[in-house]
Parts: sequence; structure tokens; C-alpha cells
Amino acid sequence: MMRVLKIAHSPKLPRLALLLVATAGLGLAGCNYDGGDPRKEIGANPPLPALQQYLIPPIQIAKVVAWGKETPAVPEGLQVHALATGFEHPRSLYVLPNGDVLVVESNGPKAPISRPKDIVTSWVTWLAGAKAEGGNRITLLRGANGDGTPELRTVFLDHLNSPFGVALVGNDLYVANTDAIVRYPYQEGQTSISAPGTKLTDLPGGPIDHHWTKALLASPDGSKLYVGVGSNSNITENGIGAEYERAAVWEVDRASGAHRIFASGIRNPTGLAWEPETRKLWAVANERDEIGPDLVPDYLTSVQDGAFYGWPYSYYGQHLDPRVEPQRPDLVAKAIAPDYALSSHVAPLGVAMYTGTDLPANYRSGAFVGEHGSWDRTPLNGYKVVFVPFSGGKPSGPAQDVVTGFLDANNQARGRPVGLAVDRSGGLLIADDLGDTVWRVSSNNPRSASTN
Amino acid sequence: MQHTRVTGTTFMGDANARSANKPAGQPIYPILMPFPIAYFAGALVTDLVYWQTAAVMWETFSDWLITAGLIMAGFAAIAFVIDFVGGKQIRTLAWPYAAGYVLAVLLSLVNAFAHSRDGYTAVVPTGLTLSGLVVVILLFTSWVSSALKSRRHVGVGI
Repeated sequence: MMRVLKIAHSPKLPRLALLLVATAGLGLAGCNYDGGDPRKEIGANPPLPALQQYLIPPIQIAKVVAWGKETPAVPEGLQVHALATGFEHPRSLYVLPNGDVLVVESNGPKAPISRPKDIVTSWVTWLAGAKAEGGNRITLLRGANGDGTPELRTVFLDHLNSPFGVALVGNDLYVANTDAIVRYPYQEGQTSISAPGTKLTDLPGGPIDHHWTKALLASPDGSKLYVGVGSNSNITENGIGAEYERAAVWEVDRASGAHRIFASGIRNPTGLAWEPETRKLWAVANERDEIGPDLVPDYLTSVQDGAFYGWPYSYYGQHLDPRVEPQRPDLVAKAIAPDYALSSHVAPLGVAMYTGTDLPANYRSGAFVGEHGSWDRTPLNGYKVVFVPFSGGKPSGPAQDVVTGFLDANNQARGRPVGLAVDRSGGLLIADDLGDTVWRVSSNNPRSASTN
Repeated sequence: MQHTRVTGTTFMGDANARSANKPAGQPIYPILMPFPIAYFAGALVTDLVYWQTAAVMWETFSDWLITAGLIMAGFAAIAFVIDFVGGKQIRTLAWPYAAGYVLAVLLSLVNAFAHSRDGYTAVVPTGLTLSGLVVVILLFTSWVSSALKSRRHVGVGI
């Protein structure tokens, strides 16, 4: 400081200004903007480079183009076709016992502008094509098991509030809006519900509602509902008070609507699934941004009762995040690492444990994960559906690319995969919220495909 | 606006309409220049409070204060160019003050980016340091300028 003052006495002040600006520029250039090989960050114990903080964090948005006549690409042995198109931001999928497919068309509530940065963020979101109005409804598709278009398409439920998760228990159909779980009466075969819903419980919603999706999964015995509730910020920039009961998986008692925090410190648990062999709860989660292209890897993990997974204080166990104040060493000491890294910023938004028999044998045990794709790293990461093989109830190998081609050769986005579901005949359904399409992946062996 | 004609010595000979268009040849930029100084000084105060309380409201104040300061600095720059091109009487600014002002605005631009980070490190330590530096530069250069001016004044007087 004294040095600065001394120099200021001399008639060289403009030179000092230049020097300071140049130093600031160097500070920018010194940061690492290019990410490493994203494949290295897959699996247990991913490498975690040193944390960086930026003046201008890396941003790379994929320009949006139409699918036209193109479709996603699948490996040998599989085929893909558009099951139905023309949706309004399809985000998640649910298959009813009679084979009807529910397409949840939804987007988040309007984000408030509380800081100048929110204006820039809103513009970036718009450029990425993620600002499209959601339908706030659920569309039903019937008779879509084979190739070709569904025989019936009806509006199943309308006038919802940013819905995401759906779960059916007996004749009770639960929809997780962004601010509440609502129960509707459902009879098998019904193609639309006009009965008013009954609120089971409130969920953390607005006015900020940064991560708005509420994933929903019923326990096998139907007594509990598990809800993925995302954080209300990237890293507590909206205050720790805004995070009350967020960044957690809730366990809601279906009879009373009472809830408890089943697991916490999971920044944004966007998809929940039962692992069929061990019957344990698994989740995909989105980790924090703006500390580097290779930090922090998003993950797939078993969700242990009562466990704390670090957010916001630490990541991957006990790696401290300096952006949180006050810090909580007591909580960090409890933090456990997730099971399986999916690579940084891939944005896993859907998970489906494959229990069907239609797909080739190498897909019969494991999890499909829909990776919506990155916006804050170079090169782009995600924009595909991967398969994580499981053995003995645990991931047993590297994730394999299954459905690609959401990015074209020029890195322009034709679509972005979100929610996944396995239909009654074992095909994998993919909601594409940029292409407004539901894709179906099936075996291209006609004998196997005709078993439905 | 009628009153402004009284001081408009330069254009006294012109028609009334013209003197209304160009109010007395007075430049506009000096009216705008103090705004960023006030905003940046305010941001230092809110940064200090945030440093001590970690209550995000104060960081949000800082964000908007710095942004508002930059916007007003932009307007001041535009006004300066318009005044300069329009041949208004540009009072010679003391050079340390002018240089310090420009430096403070540039540092505040960097500071706006630092403040756009999420969480505590938006302010502590980078944002707070920059906010402090900006105020120190503004204070120091205006002090140097007034010292220069008074010395010159004394010299001329004697």
C-alpha cells in the first residue's frame, strides 16, 4: 500500500493505472479456463484439482439448432426413434402400470433478479434455450410400445405448478409440484384427471426457488415417499436461511404428510431410483459451480439414511469450500463422499435403473443417467445418456455413452436429455427438453422388440 | 430554465432559442462525476459490514452500489465526450484527480466481477480490498489535486 502511495506522488500515475489494469488482466489469464479430459473424472475417487476462483467464470453455451430429420445416435444393437414431439419443455417421464406414459412438461418459476449477476445469468439461460415456457401439465401417451406414434395423446393433468416428480401408489397418484406434493385419485386406464388434488405436504418453493425440480419416488411398500429437494443457490449466495430443509432427500410419510430429512448435504438431487438388487435408494446429484471446469464432479450415489454429503461446506467428503461463511467444521467432520463421479458439470437430471429385458444383455444391470449438459466448462460435457454398469448393487465399471448426438458436429445443441424412464416393454424413454421430444431407445433385434 | 441565461455569457449575443438549447455553455459532466464516488464509498461501507456479519443483504447492496457507480461513470464519460465535442467550457481538471478517477472506475469494473462471485469470497478478501483501494485512490488523488491547486494559487497570488 505504501508503495502505491509513493508512486502516486510521481508524475507517473497513468502508468500505475496501466500496471494495475494489466495485473488484473494477468489474474484473469492465470486462471485455468480449459477443462481436462472429462472421462478421467468418472467413477469412485475422481481426481479433484485445486479450487480456483474467477473474476469471470468460464462459460460455454451450446448454440441451439433444430433436430430437423436427425435423431440421436445409439451404438450397435440399439435403435432410437421419436416417440412423440411438440411438447412444452418435457422434463420428466413416468410409466403407469398399464403402460401409459406420462410426460411432465415443466420449467422453473421465473427467477427473481436480486443481484446484477442475475441479469447476466438470465441472459445466459436464454441463450442456452433453457428459458422456454413449461407446459405446467402432464401429457399421457398410450399405445406407444412399438415403433411409430402413440395411438392416443391426451392432457392428463393441467394447471400444475412447475411439476417434476410423479409416483403412483395404489389408486393415489402423487405429483411433486415445486412447492407441494399433491395427491390425485387415479383409476387404471384413466386418460385424464379432472378431480381436484389434495395437498399432502408443502415443499420448499419460492420466492427464490433456485433449484426447483422435486424428484419423487415411492418406497416399495408404498408407505413413504422420497423427495429430492435441491439447494436454493449455487453456494449459499442467497443466505443460509434460504436453505432450510433444502439440499436434502426428504422422507414423507404417505399417511400423515409428515416428513423428516432422510439425507442432507446433497446440493441438487434431481433423480431418485431403487437399486433392484439391494433395494437401496440411489440418487443423481448436481454439484457446485464456479470453482473450475473440473470441479466439482456431479455424481451418482447410494443415499444413506442420516448421512451428510457435504453441501455447502465441503465437497466429495471433506474438501472445504471457502465460499461459505460461517464455516461448520462440525458438519464437515461428518461429511461422506458420494459413491460414483459422473464428471464435472454434466448435469445429471434423470436416472433409471434398468430392470427390463428388451435391451441387449450388457444393459441388463445398471443405471441409465440423462446428462443435460454443461454450460460452464470447455470442452462441453454431458449432452448424452450414459449407462453405468452395476454388479452386486454397486457401480462396476466406467460409464458408457449410450445415446449421443444431442450435440452436432459443430457443438451445437439439437436437444438436451433430462428425465428417463423404462417403459413396460423394456424400452428406454428419454425426455428432451430442448428438442421438445420424447425419444425411445430399444433393441434393434426385431424378435426381442416384438415381445411386448 | 430562463434563469440559466443570466450566467450564459458566451452566448449572450445569440437568440433566446439557442441559449435555451445550450444552457449557458456549462458542461454537464461535472454534475455526474460525484455519483460514482458516492456509490463506491457506499460499497466500501456495505463490504465492511458484510465482512463482519456475513449477512448476504450487505453483499447485495455492494453489488448494486458498484454497478450503479459504473453506470453513472458511463453517463459521465458520455457527457464528457458530448461536452468536449460541443465545445463547452471544460474546466481543466487537475491531472492527478482525473487519473485517479479513471483508475478508480477501472478498478471498480474489476471489483464488480469480483463481487459477482457466489458466497463470502465475493467480498473477503478480494472485493473488500478493491473497494478500499478505490476509496483510497479517490481520496488521495483529490487531496493531491487540491494541494497542487492551492500551491499554484499561492504562487500566482504572490
